[in-house]
Amino acid sequence: MTIGAMYAVSTIGLSLVYGSLNMLNMAHGAILTFGGYVCYAAMARVGLPSPLAFGAAILACGALGVLIYLAAAWPLLRSPNFETNIFIATIGIGAIIENAMLKVFGPYPIPQPLAVSGDFVVGHVHVPDQNVFILAVALALMALVAITLERSRFGRAIRATAQHRSAAQLMGVRVGFVYAQVLAISGALAAVSGILVSSIATLTPVMGADPMLKAFIICVVAGLGNVYGAVASAIVLGLMEASVQYLLGVRWSLATLLLIVVIVLIWRPHGLFGRSQEERQ
Amino acid sequence: MVEPLLDVRDLAAGYAGRDVLFGLNCRIWSGELVAMVGPNGHGKTTLLRAISGLVRPSRGEILFAGKPLARLRPDAIVARGVVHVPQGDWLFPGMSVIENLLMGAYLPAAGVRVSDRLDFVLSLLPKLAERRRQLASTLSGGERRMVAIGRGLMAGGSLLMLDEPSLGLAPIVIDQIYEVVFALKGSGRTILLVEENAARVADHADRMLLLDNGAFVWEGSGPDLMVRPEIVETYLGG
Repeated sequence: MTIGAMYAVSTIGLSLVYGSLNMLNMAHGAILTFGGYVCYAAMARVGLPSPLAFGAAILACGALGVLIYLAAAWPLLRSPNFETNIFIATIGIGAIIENAMLKVFGPYPIPQPLAVSGDFVVGHVHVPDQNVFILAVALALMALVAITLERSRFGRAIRATAQHRSAAQLMGVRVGFVYAQVLAISGALAAVSGILVSSIATLTPVMGADPMLKAFIICVVAGLGNVYGAVASAIVLGLMEASVQYLLGVRWSLATLLLIVVIVLIWRPHGLFGRSQEERQ
Repeated sequence: MVEPLLDVRDLAAGYAGRDVLFGLNCRIWSGELVAMVGPNGHGKTTLLRAISGLVRPSRGEILFAGKPLARLRPDAIVARGVVHVPQGDWLFPGMSVIENLLMGAYLPAAGVRVSDRLDFVLSLLPKLAERRRQLASTLSGGERRMVAIGRGLMAGGSLLMLDEPSLGLAPIVIDQIYEVVFALKGSGRTILLVEENAARVADHADRMLLLDNGAFVWEGSGPDLMVRPEIVETYLGG
């Protein structure tokens, strides 16, 4: 359940970015890592209290998202092979960020200081408070994203841009701005995900690769661009992964996950909730 | 001499480096209903797109209320009051009728309550009120057209551009659509419209412009056009 929730947070950002920009952000894992490290640095090196460190990480990654928009997405948007170009560009950006983390913090795992200690007992089961915390944060964020997308003018602009970019322009939406904001939000969500993941595991420069891979798998299974489908799939897949690990052992979980993906894609090539490509302009 | 609301001068524009419009000149005054007719693929849609900013002109000027539009982004042009209802509707498929209409009023307009405007649009297009929560992708062709026009009306604006409002619709539905369009003209709106079937609009249009191969070849009133069989046959398929 906790794992599913963590995956969900990391997946929302990725799904939003693909849905609105048709962009597979391969730097997502690196941003996630960056967020975890910023939180650590803010607490351990600068001495900020945990809520401020959390906030600092979110701001830093949001800014990073905007930077990626300015440096990569905006210049490439008019190019004929945008999707391929941005895929490659973000791989490069991701590599740069990871190497920067490696240089600054070293390759050795560092424990994430933002942690909630203690246990929460339900009947025979001891649930670490940390897990409850993660679950609570993830749920709050998902609710926030849902409310924003559905109810706010800003959310409507994002959905309009995702569904029909040229029409959105004719309504007066500044599409470039929307893209920058979506990347900022995606960055902020990646930061949260990074903090949560590292609070259970540890901080390493390459910690982002696995969550990013899982996020992509979830997005593809759900249907690229469908945010709610992605959240639902994330939770289901999280539960499945936990069960498989429990029943068959840890080494089978990734194989099982990939097997599920293959089956789903054979059955429904557009993903469980995906639509066939609408006219995208 | 009253200044035109829209003044297009020597406009050239096209796609992928190839021009489709060649040195167009056109002026539209406030309150007019101007209809552009002519064979398909000869540049009528391109002209509207150049005005609304979706296509960058390669040459020429577009002045709206005296101020240049040509280098602005589409969202800035809409903010100035140029509303483009595109060919093929371009609705947001995942949004309901109401949400599509609300997107039309995305830009805040001074002194206008969105709910008032919505009431006005729904009174003009009552079928939409019945289907307000329905997803746009599930509507019929005529209903979609109405949403597209309604969305354009939600934007307010001072120039309304309609690209082929009758495209793909049954005659009865076309009548309904044009009832709305002529009512709008009657209430004083400035409308530039592209229409394949010149006869439909000849009686109501203040002026008709015939566009052939990227240039205007004729201009006059509706009745003038209809009594020239050579034009009607050559360009408008009889």
